[in-house]
Amino acid sequence: MQDQIPVTVLTGFLGAGKTTLLNRILTENHGLKFAVIINEFGETGIDNDLVTQADEEVFEMNNGCICCTVRGDLIRIIGGLMKRKGLDGILIETTGLADPAPVAQTFYVDADIAARTRLDAILTVADAVNLSTHLDESHEAAEQIAFADIVLLNKTDLVDADALTAVEARLRAINPTARIIRTARCDVDLDQILCLKAFELERVLEIEPDFLTDDHAHEHDDAVTSISLHSDVPMNPDAFQTWFSMLLRTKGQDLLRSKGIIDMAGEDQRYVIQGVHMLMDGSLLGPWPEGKKRETKLVFIGRNLEGMGLREGFEACKAA
Amino acid sequence: MQGGMTILDPVTRPTEPTAIEKLGRYFICDAVPTCAVAAGDAVLVGFGDGQVRIFRPDLPMQELPAHHGTVLCMARHGAGVLTGGDDGRLLRVSTDGELTELAGFGNRWLDCVATARNGTWAASVDKTAHIRDAEGRAHALDHPSTVGGLAFDRKGERLAVAHYGGVTLWTRGRRDWKPTSLKWAGSHVGVTWSPDNRFIVTTMQENALHGWRLRDKADMRMSGYPAKVKSMGWVGKLPFLASSGAQEAICWPFDGATGPMGKSPLTLCDDGGALTTAVAALPGHDGLLAGFENGVVLFSELDPVAQPRVIKRRSGAAITHLVVTPDSGWMLAAAEDGLVLWAPLGQTGS
Repeated sequence: MQDQIPVTVLTGFLGAGKTTLLNRILTENHGLKFAVIINEFGETGIDNDLVTQADEEVFEMNNGCICCTVRGDLIRIIGGLMKRKGLDGILIETTGLADPAPVAQTFYVDADIAARTRLDAILTVADAVNLSTHLDESHEAAEQIAFADIVLLNKTDLVDADALTAVEARLRAINPTARIIRTARCDVDLDQILCLKAFELERVLEIEPDFLTDDHAHEHDDAVTSISLHSDVPMNPDAFQTWFSMLLRTKGQDLLRSKGIIDMAGEDQRYVIQGVHMLMDGSLLGPWPEGKKRETKLVFIGRNLEGMGLREGFEACKAA
Repeated sequence: MQGGMTILDPVTRPTEPTAIEKLGRYFICDAVPTCAVAAGDAVLVGFGDGQVRIFRPDLPMQELPAHHGTVLCMARHGAGVLTGGDDGRLLRVSTDGELTELAGFGNRWLDCVATARNGTWAASVDKTAHIRDAEGRAHALDHPSTVGGLAFDRKGERLAVAHYGGVTLWTRGRRDWKPTSLKWAGSHVGVTWSPDNRFIVTTMQENALHGWRLRDKADMRMSGYPAKVKSMGWVGKLPFLASSGAQEAICWPFDGATGPMGKSPLTLCDDGGALTTAVAALPGHDGLLAGFENGVVLFSELDPVAQPRVIKRRSGAAITHLVVTPDSGWMLAAAEDGLVLWAPLGQTGS
């Protein structure tokens, strides 16, 4: 059957530089045929029959899962785009006020979308000058950083080195696994941001979160933060599955993203997981590499993480 | 390549062409079928490459460049069809390939189209259904979310519009159309009226159908499907509402005052656990065609003990559209990979 078409989600606040990037993807000679779903014509000023406008329509699913909101407009439009042949990729632009969760969940929840496309990466354009203000003032800014696989930290030429270090530290506190690319005017090689397979479980194996900067200052209660957990002792498979599935079921609303490589006791292969709210992908992903230490790494990004007893729950899963 | 497909399926099916395949012809269209409608003895099929391909008995297949992007929707209109595309245009295509533009909506997609026997049509762009009645009067009907499906009742006096949260039922008045709401949580993506106009049924984003009895707006939940219902159609005298999305064609009885409420559906045509992806009635007969995800098409009488007959063998890609002409003379099966079987039904329907 057809290959799965990669879909890149482009988020970021108004003025951060999304439109600049979008125009580059639409006009540069990269040899790829991208369909682009934008939220407002006019912004790009480009007349292209591969550009489609969507109203952001968030739908709740009737399956009793409070987290299962999807983007109805994307189901409809991607369904239509799949009828064309020869597309190399789809790019979805969201507004600065969009919640990335329904976008990501659409690729898990809708069977047709899941079969024909794969979420390639969530790319957030952040403005080095204004990011701190945005994070202070809006819920959505933190969520867009939390969901990002790549943060394009733009307008770095307009801030000094200290300010840049401070803003990167703030990004890292929210999202320890995203790749941060510094740019001045979105001048990044497009192959660094397109067709990355960031949502494939294999990519989870590459996570190297910074486990040292765990204890940052106390944030206000609904701030988005992250917790990285680590163990050299294998996990008890039954205990871990029970704890983890209960955690997603009861705290899924506050858990924005989770990623991990688990060393299960008695298992020769690495167990890799990746989740968006309550939705989770997990599978055994080949043996531990020769000469590499067996260890468990687990990263949670979300709100109210301190109150979830994550460390205690994790510790209790260690095989005796 | 009449009846000349070489299909190897040593387990369950004969590799020899079926009687219908021998009588018919296979076409390989290098595009994804998106919609198909019968008009007279012709069947018109819209494709993802913007073409409308016309299949007629004893004539070569005709390819018509219609839309600039993808043909998104199609409805029977007199001796032809109306088509909508992602180029925002509404076209009328006659069965001999004549093409007229009826309306244009710029760069927005024209997602759904519906027609009534009196010539009234409705076409949706985003949240708005645009109606043009038989007298040429235009109305724009707005909805709270993007329109997922449109259907007129048999007289063209009422229009059902499916969207997120239910159906808006518009009734034609002296000067304008008046709305009534039929509410049910979730996203409704297709809609149909029962032939007696007593029931409305929608396909949903969930693996379910939802229905309303119009007399009292009583809800009917038809769930339990393992996959999304992509195809439904009224079959037989009773009638049944046949639907895809399970290991058989699921046929809900719509007789009596209560329709399918409290009843089990009739399940017909089984192909070793493969999911059905398209269904079609044989007009004038108590029988149906069911298409499967593996490319198989089976025929069955509307009888739980009937033995289904193989119409089309396995070919890999899912059957996306099944159409039978109004006199049950010809059938068309289109698969997702662009393979089309166009064949006379002959004795099968009787």
